[in-house]
Amino acid sequence: MSTLLEDLNATGACTLPIDESNTIHLKLIQLRKDPPIVQEYDVPVFTQCKDHFIKSQWDLTTQQILPYIDGFRHIQKISAEADVELNLVRIAVQNLLYYGVVTLVSIFQYSNVYCTTPKVQSLIDDKSIQEECLNYVTKQGQKRASLRDVFQLYCGLSPGTTVRDLCSRYSQQLQRVDERRLIQFGLMKCLIRRLQKYPVKVIRDERSRPPRLYTGCHSYDEICCKTGITYQELDERLENDPNIVVCWK
Amino acid sequence: MMLNPSVGLPDDRKSLYPQSQSSAYKCGDKTSPISVILVSSGSRGNKLLFRYPYQKVAECPSSLSAKQRNPYVLNTSGDELDDQDGDSREQSPLTDEQLVAGFSDIVLSTILATKSDMCGKKFELKIDNVRFVGHPTLLQHPPIIQVSKTDPSPKREMPTMILFNVVFALRANADPSVISCMHNLSRRIAIALQHEERRCQYLTREAKLMLAVQEEITTTETDGSPQSPFRQILPKCKLARDLKEAYDSLCTTGVVRLHINDWLEVSFCLPHKIHRIGDTYIPPEALERSLKAIRPYHALLLLENEKTLLSQLPLDCSPALIRLIKTCSAVKNLQQLAQDADLALLQIFQIAAHLVYWGKAIIIYPLCENNVYMLSPHANICLYSPLAEQFARQFPGHDLPSMLAKFSLPVSLAEFRNPLEAPTQEFAALLVNQAQLIQMVVWMLQRRLLIQLHTYVCLLVPPSEDEPGLRDEDPPLAARVGGRSLSTPSALSFGSPTSSDDMTLTSPSMENSSAELLTGGDSPLNKRMTETLLASLSEHERQFILNIPAAQNPEDLRMFARLLHYFRGHHHLEEIMYNENMRRSQLKTLFDKFRSVLVVTNHEDPIISIFQSPMD
Repeated sequence: MSTLLEDLNATGACTLPIDESNTIHLKLIQLRKDPPIVQEYDVPVFTQCKDHFIKSQWDLTTQQILPYIDGFRHIQKISAEADVELNLVRIAVQNLLYYGVVTLVSIFQYSNVYCTTPKVQSLIDDKSIQEECLNYVTKQGQKRASLRDVFQLYCGLSPGTTVRDLCSRYSQQLQRVDERRLIQFGLMKCLIRRLQKYPVKVIRDERSRPPRLYTGCHSYDEICCKTGITYQELDERLENDPNIVVCWK
Repeated sequence: MMLNPSVGLPDDRKSLYPQSQSSAYKCGDKTSPISVILVSSGSRGNKLLFRYPYQKVAECPSSLSAKQRNPYVLNTSGDELDDQDGDSREQSPLTDEQLVAGFSDIVLSTILATKSDMCGKKFELKIDNVRFVGHPTLLQHPPIIQVSKTDPSPKREMPTMILFNVVFALRANADPSVISCMHNLSRRIAIALQHEERRCQYLTREAKLMLAVQEEITTTETDGSPQSPFRQILPKCKLARDLKEAYDSLCTTGVVRLHINDWLEVSFCLPHKIHRIGDTYIPPEALERSLKAIRPYHALLLLENEKTLLSQLPLDCSPALIRLIKTCSAVKNLQQLAQDADLALLQIFQIAAHLVYWGKAIIIYPLCENNVYMLSPHANICLYSPLAEQFARQFPGHDLPSMLAKFSLPVSLAEFRNPLEAPTQEFAALLVNQAQLIQMVVWMLQRRLLIQLHTYVCLLVPPSEDEPGLRDEDPPLAARVGGRSLSTPSALSFGSPTSSDDMTLTSPSMENSSAELLTGGDSPLNKRMTETLLASLSEHERQFILNIPAAQNPEDLRMFARLLHYFRGHHHLEEIMYNENMRRSQLKTLFDKFRSVLVVTNHEDPIISIFQSPMD
């Protein structure tokens, strides 16, 4: 009994030989929260270096999609390039999400709009996040970026400002910073959040069909993924339609 | 990390994990009780007086085949469904009914009716997937039995009850805060029952009724059609109906109001049910933290209209509460409310916290022209949502999605009024009159559709070119700038001019150059300022700041030094304005002048944002 208590408390696992031929193996299973559903427009990104894991321990599907998880490809793209069925990819990534191996961010485009959350202050307060951030976002081969530059960049993100605008406005600060990794890190640690566009068809004739996608429940990302048209095309279509308003949230 | 081999082809299934949203009420809702049970212990032994929901008894118990489960047998079928690896079952988990149905009346009465030394304390017992929580209460042994008029046989020695226990059965993995809330409710009911028992033997009478019905039913069971005795108890016993009502309320609204013996009121609310946004609930600890951090410049926004709220209050409620509800408004901050309602600020804080806890109000920043609002990330903007319908009814001629679209970019209320100041043509096109706009904004805030953005500022001096390494070793400014503690709300120290530096208000303006500041001039003001700068900043930072052109102006430098401790990114513009009695334009100009060392950003106030969006 004492072995049981001590081992379980120490390592969470314990082996108890009962007699010559029987042994009990016990292990504490960590209960985790149910992970959210993974959508086809979500982008998985590794929370730790992917080389830390022994790939052969994973199932075949996960092994096949692993090389395509780079923090920039979304699920639909991974499915197409790895030649794995979409729902299988979603389930495999959900599995990885459950174990905390990956986290989900949104698709990166230069036309995206982001804004800061109250957590952005943790970049100033928390030394470990600071270190992690500066190491992550500095361009390869360059001297480490300064905290002030990085913080200014994050604070420069606000509603109405696209990433492209940020790049032109803060070109000096971006000399040593990779903007794509900057955004990725900010999303992973919830320092910033993405503002998605949701079209809503408010005025329509009695005779026309009720809107299927323009109800305010589907973002541009989702609509583009499902229908295959590009962001710019969708934008053009909707800008010229007086019956449709667009909400950002 | 193998995928569960029993999944099979996942053609339709988009997720490996059960979706908790759809089955929230039926099974697995961790905040609802599974059952309520009343047991007693006395001279006649342990008795189960009442339980709800009562189990559905099988139609013909005599013809039970071996496969059919006898509902009175302890539920062991759970073990057989376990996977070899101990992974969670693929089949749907046992319903709540099945969990507690496995315990027979006799078993329950034995385990729940405790000995007298466990009385007056929290009772908690976990068996498999069920957790029982209650508060066993000892009844005084009445020396003289007071005869009530309805008692038919006053002289006979009545069986006496020694103790009783109102027990709630919950799912074993319920949150500890839910468990302690249920215990609280059990205790309150117990106190009321104990009081009524002393006054007029209420509990003994009800118990006698319940037991009589149970005996009656068991004797008539021989005709082959058993019914649950508890079903028969309900119409005869007020206490049984009260317990049923408590259970039903807990499962639905989370607000319980009972009138024990039509005399004593027991009221209770379960914060987990009341403070819900979408599928998640705000944990009570987070709520409490938020409530502790509210300041006099915050405002209280009622979530229901005044009349409805007043009608819900009990007759003997505090007059202070009524006064507060009548005088409160979305544009008044708590300090003004204290003055208008003629109550102490501390009392206002307490009543406000009470209203927030019961889900009747939320804390916001008072409405004013300069407030900047934006759509909340959790807002439901769907065209067909019930909110859209309600909005159209309340404000005819306007539709919710169009209104919400206007808040896509952060916009201040002032921009609505003057179309010339509006950033885009869209605003110029809509002319909403001011009064109606305020009503709409209040409506949207009440339904958590909008968040307010505040400006936060942080001091970050550019690193020196020669010693880049040194910069990184400096501890963050937050650790170095001690500053005044602004976290505890205190009625007296905010907002009054005397709280700011007396010397700066009365001293003559300085014409000296910065050189004199460095060498430490004789005036006490100079010394104090130099001290402040020295104490908290590094040499490099101080030099940099003093070299800014704006720092050559002593007024500006003085103001900067005075506000230094706010520049940590945790105090927003309005808070600085309130504490230091300054105008917005003054602060904005100062930020602009020192923009080479300050970084400004806009986001929601984390203290009160909990009311608009749950914690991640």
